[in-house]
Amino acid sequence: MGRQLIYPMEERYQEYLSDESKMVGKADSISFPENEGEILEIIAEMNACHTPVTIQGGKTGIAGCAVPARGHVLNLSHMNQVKAFNKTAQGEALLKVEPGMTLLELKKAIKKLKTEEELFWPPDPTESSSTVGGIASCGAKGICSRLYGDTRKYIQAARVIQWDGSVKEIKRGETTVSFLGREKDLLDVYLGGEGMFGILAELTLRLEPRPKEMWGISFFFEKKEDAFTFADNLMTEDLQVEGASIAAAEYMDRATIDAIEERKEMMTALKELPDVGAEVAAMIYIEIHGMEEEAVEEIAEILMELAVRCDSDPDRAWAVSGETEIEKMRVFRHAAAESANLLIEKIRQREPRITKLGTDMSLDKEDFQSVIAKYEADIAQEGLKACIFGHIGGNHLHINILPEDYEEYEKGCKLFEAWAKEIAAQQGKVVTEHGVGKLKKPLFLQTASKDCIEEIQRLKHTYDPAGMWNPENMI
Amino acid sequence: MLKIAVCVKQVPAYSEGLMDPETGVMIRAGLESVLNVYDLPAIETALRIKEEAGALVDVFTMGPAKASAVLKEAYAMGADRGYLVNDSCFSGADVLATSYTLMQAIQSTEDYHLILCGRQTTDGDTAQVSGAIAKWLDIPHVNWVTEILHVAHDSITVRQAMEEEIVTVKATYPCLLSVERSIFLPRLPSLKGKIAAKKKDINVLSLADMEDQEESHYGLTGSATKVEKIFPPAKTAQRDIIQKDSQEAANYILEVIKKVNK
Repeated sequence: MGRQLIYPMEERYQEYLSDESKMVGKADSISFPENEGEILEIIAEMNACHTPVTIQGGKTGIAGCAVPARGHVLNLSHMNQVKAFNKTAQGEALLKVEPGMTLLELKKAIKKLKTEEELFWPPDPTESSSTVGGIASCGAKGICSRLYGDTRKYIQAARVIQWDGSVKEIKRGETTVSFLGREKDLLDVYLGGEGMFGILAELTLRLEPRPKEMWGISFFFEKKEDAFTFADNLMTEDLQVEGASIAAAEYMDRATIDAIEERKEMMTALKELPDVGAEVAAMIYIEIHGMEEEAVEEIAEILMELAVRCDSDPDRAWAVSGETEIEKMRVFRHAAAESANLLIEKIRQREPRITKLGTDMSLDKEDFQSVIAKYEADIAQEGLKACIFGHIGGNHLHINILPEDYEEYEKGCKLFEAWAKEIAAQQGKVVTEHGVGKLKKPLFLQTASKDCIEEIQRLKHTYDPAGMWNPENMI
Repeated sequence: MLKIAVCVKQVPAYSEGLMDPETGVMIRAGLESVLNVYDLPAIETALRIKEEAGALVDVFTMGPAKASAVLKEAYAMGADRGYLVNDSCFSGADVLATSYTLMQAIQSTEDYHLILCGRQTTDGDTAQVSGAIAKWLDIPHVNWVTEILHVAHDSITVRQAMEEEIVTVKATYPCLLSVERSIFLPRLPSLKGKIAAKKKDINVLSLADMEDQEESHYGLTGSATKVEKIFPPAKTAQRDIIQKDSQEAANYILEVIKKVNK
């Protein structure tokens, strides 16, 4: 007799009703399959009783994609093994993994590979407990997407379990489907599909040679306007040097820095970093990756000159190199998101109706200065508090409203709606990398084109006619 | 001016516990290398003394050519001169040979008032090299230093955390301090410092620079000990499931903590 696979949703499983969006859902049962065979058994049972299934990974999402609306929770965190590694005739390094593998586990697994050159998987949303399946499902990119681009570039194939229990192997470049008048790779329907079209039971990741040289530099500014100018110059100056590139450029305002500093006592990794001076109004973190040491240094020198021109003292800028030291800087950057989530959690203890209010909008038509000034002015006008941090490229900022009460929360929601409409009208992206999920569904439906919504509905009907997967997500 | 020597080591960022069965030396190839975290507070201590009292800060490391990276890092933090103690005959050294080599290197460079070391390294973990250097030099050695109380022209007064008491020690120069990690939070290298460090020269000290040029006193042959085996300790983790009400459970946890701390 096989082991028990499905458990009633008892109190001890309550944590699986929520994720970092702070939404709380409902479900009748939960399972933790350990292999594809077990998923198929569970799905057969759910199909028989017409029970919808919400697919879950590390529960680190912030749009509520993995928060169940009803039915069954299929948590894939126990499927975290490497299945195979091979190099193609074209020299591509391909690693097959199960979807529940966390980023931390993936990094360790890659280190253990016996390869001539060091390899890595470029998508890195800094949350080390996020799973590969979750990253693939919502298209999370991380701070280095400025250099490496979309996550889908680094996923070559997937094994997908469909609503009827059949299993399909999908390879990039083999099949396309029509979407908004263009041909879209079938694999890309599932990547970024937020679990609405099938279960990603196995993913083939394309690994890249790890940059031999990596520098992380944190610039501090006493006037935030200087940071804005620096950010805009980053986008316009010639920073191209053969053999190295800027991989990440991240902005953090003072409120974000304060939220991080408050967490220092609780987080050992943060304690290893010096305090940020009280006079600092904003900081910008930059990562340079390259194969040539001299090229990386050349970019660092250009940045130093730029910083001096923008009144940022290079003698006070933190500059580290190597994977271990860079990780310290990334911990600081990641703490921005975590600290904002923690503040929301505190507020929720007083007012449970409040959820995370963080933007994922990007607009590359305007300069950084005018985009951030607009956000700040609107926040000030509504009398709200917020943490602002995010990617300078594409002005992809995460504005996290910190409401004191439900009234302020509602004001924040309205502000989000207004921003979303404005950004959509300017052909920006309302949802860039966190997914739509359930939290951003109203915004998405208000701002996405009718054609786009209809096309997603058509795909949903084609690949999930029984409405089995992730009910209430996106559409 | 006060002259300070700081001893640092390049260590693997993480260890897989692999060892060469022939030599008993840890295998480090292919692993990322970093400056030993216990040595960073020693550099920071030297730089704070330099900033407050004025001093020349020299940093010494013994290792292969790539170990010069930790001297560059010390430069980026603010160190004045870096010395790479490097010669093929120095490799495979145990505590005895390492401390002897570092003593020879330090002695061949300057008459330092103060030598600073970190508490231990993260690879060897012996915490014995600093004491051994002091013994070779026949100078006072104060370990477990948690605070610098006063820097005078002829002595330094520090706080030493003994197992059951805190001791205030005044040591006259020359002396050697082995500092705890808690003494100072090390600064991060500055961008300006890091760029300048790349252009700064590293001084290399080989056997030819030592006063004692007898090869057999160094490296594997000069070592008194050899590692027989490296293995992970047996897991002694124990898991108890207690089912009590909150008050009783809290008392139980307190008892466990007291027992462990005994």
